[in-house]
Amino acid sequence: MIAAAAAVALLMTSCIGSSRTTQAQSAGSAGKGEVKGAIGVTWWGGDQRNRLTNAVADMFVKEHPGVTIDRQSADWAGYWTKLNVQAAGKSLPCVVQIQGRQLNDYTKNSVLIPLDPMIDSGAIDVSGIPKAVVDAGRGTDGKVYLVSYGVAYDAVGINTTVAQQAGVDVPAEGYNWDDFVSFLTKAQPKLPAGVAAANLQGGIPGVFLGWAQANGKKLFAKDGKLGFSKEDLTGYWNMWEKLRKANVTMPADKAAEELGPDQGFLATGQVMATEIPGNSLTAASNTLAGTNSSQSLTTIPYPSGPAGAGATALSANGFAIAKNCQNVPTAAAFINYFTNDPAAGKVFAADNGAPSNTKVLDAQLADASLSATKKHELDLYKQILAAKPPIIVFPPGYQATFEASFRRNYDEAAFGRMTVAQAVDKFFSEANAGLGQ
Amino acid sequence: MISTIQARAPRPIFGRKQSTNPIIRAVVRHALIICALVILLYPLVWMVAASFRPSNQIFTTLGLFSAHPTLANYTEGWGAGRLNFSRYFINSFLIAILSIVGNLISCSVTAYAFARLNFPGKKFLFAMLLGTMFLPFQVTLVPQYIMFNYLGWINTYLPLIVPHWFGVNAFFIFLMVQFIRSLPRELDDSARLDGCGHFRIFTRIIMPLALPAIGVVALFSFVWSWNDFLGPLLYLGRSDLWTVPLGLKAFLDSTGQSSYGGLFAMSTLSLAPIVGFFILAQRLLLEGIATTGLK
Repeated sequence: MIAAAAAVALLMTSCIGSSRTTQAQSAGSAGKGEVKGAIGVTWWGGDQRNRLTNAVADMFVKEHPGVTIDRQSADWAGYWTKLNVQAAGKSLPCVVQIQGRQLNDYTKNSVLIPLDPMIDSGAIDVSGIPKAVVDAGRGTDGKVYLVSYGVAYDAVGINTTVAQQAGVDVPAEGYNWDDFVSFLTKAQPKLPAGVAAANLQGGIPGVFLGWAQANGKKLFAKDGKLGFSKEDLTGYWNMWEKLRKANVTMPADKAAEELGPDQGFLATGQVMATEIPGNSLTAASNTLAGTNSSQSLTTIPYPSGPAGAGATALSANGFAIAKNCQNVPTAAAFINYFTNDPAAGKVFAADNGAPSNTKVLDAQLADASLSATKKHELDLYKQILAAKPPIIVFPPGYQATFEASFRRNYDEAAFGRMTVAQAVDKFFSEANAGLGQ
Repeated sequence: MISTIQARAPRPIFGRKQSTNPIIRAVVRHALIICALVILLYPLVWMVAASFRPSNQIFTTLGLFSAHPTLANYTEGWGAGRLNFSRYFINSFLIAILSIVGNLISCSVTAYAFARLNFPGKKFLFAMLLGTMFLPFQVTLVPQYIMFNYLGWINTYLPLIVPHWFGVNAFFIFLMVQFIRSLPRELDDSARLDGCGHFRIFTRIIMPLALPAIGVVALFSFVWSWNDFLGPLLYLGRSDLWTVPLGLKAFLDSTGQSSYGGLFAMSTLSLAPIVGFFILAQRLLLEGIATTGLK
């Protein structure tokens, strides 16, 4: 009886398997083909993001009758767990939302297809997207795997009211790291009790990437291992240690407890300047309005350096197509619609970074109902883009190894458990072991 | 003269005689326990209090009371998303109840077989059963996903419910095996004399006596199913299928604006079924323990 049950199960799965291939559309070369059938789309985000993405998906379905979209969403942390399980099981949804930082973890394992044929054939139109942003979606082999629809950037958030009360001016355009440090050090003595000049940013990888680029250091070598030297990192961490010991920054134990940018130190008025993602300005301002409604925030680009102005890595958020996708033409059409269609851009309202398509971005800026903070976010993006920021191709293992190890080892040094030199050594050995394989 | 050696009570090391007054001892004991309880429960009480504060003032204080109490978190949190939070509650209840029923039926039947029957390979199968308890879930995670994907069960409730109907929970089976083993076999024999077969013995004798074990299985089954996050995360992609843990996580958006007020309000509401269920099952446990099969 057990044998019979097993035989039935085997028969069932083979039947389902064969029917699946007959109803699948052959993955048309260059992505051109009929736009119909079913595709799956997966993305990360909270409540608002889900609402907006679903709205755009509904609009796409209305424009292309015969298409059904199977939607899957999860929060940020759960999304990667889910994606990894799906990738391991070769059952990713057709359209996968991904960022430059994790892209090469997936291209290394060949679960995404290159999108160059679709771009060349016009199925995905990238003519309206700046070249720097398109390049941010390239894998280690130089092919485009990810078409970005929203560009996020890191910026320095400053509480202008507190800065004014402390008698310091917000750093002018083109300021460099020395100006930034002196801005913080000058303000510290005049700040009210409980407010620090800056958050302890030594352990935040994004800030280090900005500093390294401004000073012309290479970030990653050809094989994906670290491209900068131990002396570079030691100098950088020593700079932050000096600030921390002079009480210019938050103490280490308090900094370790910070919540996300929308409830962090800047949003609750405990810090004058800190690094925040550019598109958190609106959320942080809303939180600040609840406790200190007289204070206001602004964002400025990262400090520049000898190698360039305001060098902050652009983080491209966008869609990629999975290798196991059976309906590539529809997937390509969906990505094209999401990125370039003006009506879609209006509905999505730049929820995941500034729109990559220049026309959509300009339409957003011209929108009269845009809040002042959102307009500033988009304006700053244009400013940073105009300064031609360098493009970083993140090697495989970046998010899992580099970011985690960087934070942890700096914390060890900041809490006094290791010297800076030891922490740098440990970071180098851990990162080089995990990157670029 | 005969001197009798009298036994003396051992002298206490710390000299002072402890208070034998039962009232004082009771008061001290209760005071200590209440202190420990307050420390353990404070985060929970804080969460409930924070759910009545406006969202952007939640983290400003560790205290319980605020100047602007509001019910907005509850109304907004309930209506959050495309669907009401009531949808997530209904989904969670559906999955939980079906899982409980499946667990009870399959685990008790399996436990009866292991405890009361003798069949070839019984020891080997029992060892394998215990062996599955030691297998970390990470090992089976990806193969299970591949299997369910092949069957086309992604975005349905089936992966979360059907396994429970096939007795996959070795912990519950083991629990019931031990419990059934403790029931006297004479009851079985007397039932057999009255003409009962295995099925009648199982339903009429063993199951009523195993009420405490059933209560424990039901309780743990409910709590684990209600709190399960990874299973629904992997298998339930569409937001109208989500369960309560997924719905709660959607309040937190590390890439945008989180809604902590709504999160705390809905968390408070989602604790209510667990507490309610525990109270119900508790009575069952007491009843089961108070009466034995020897009527």
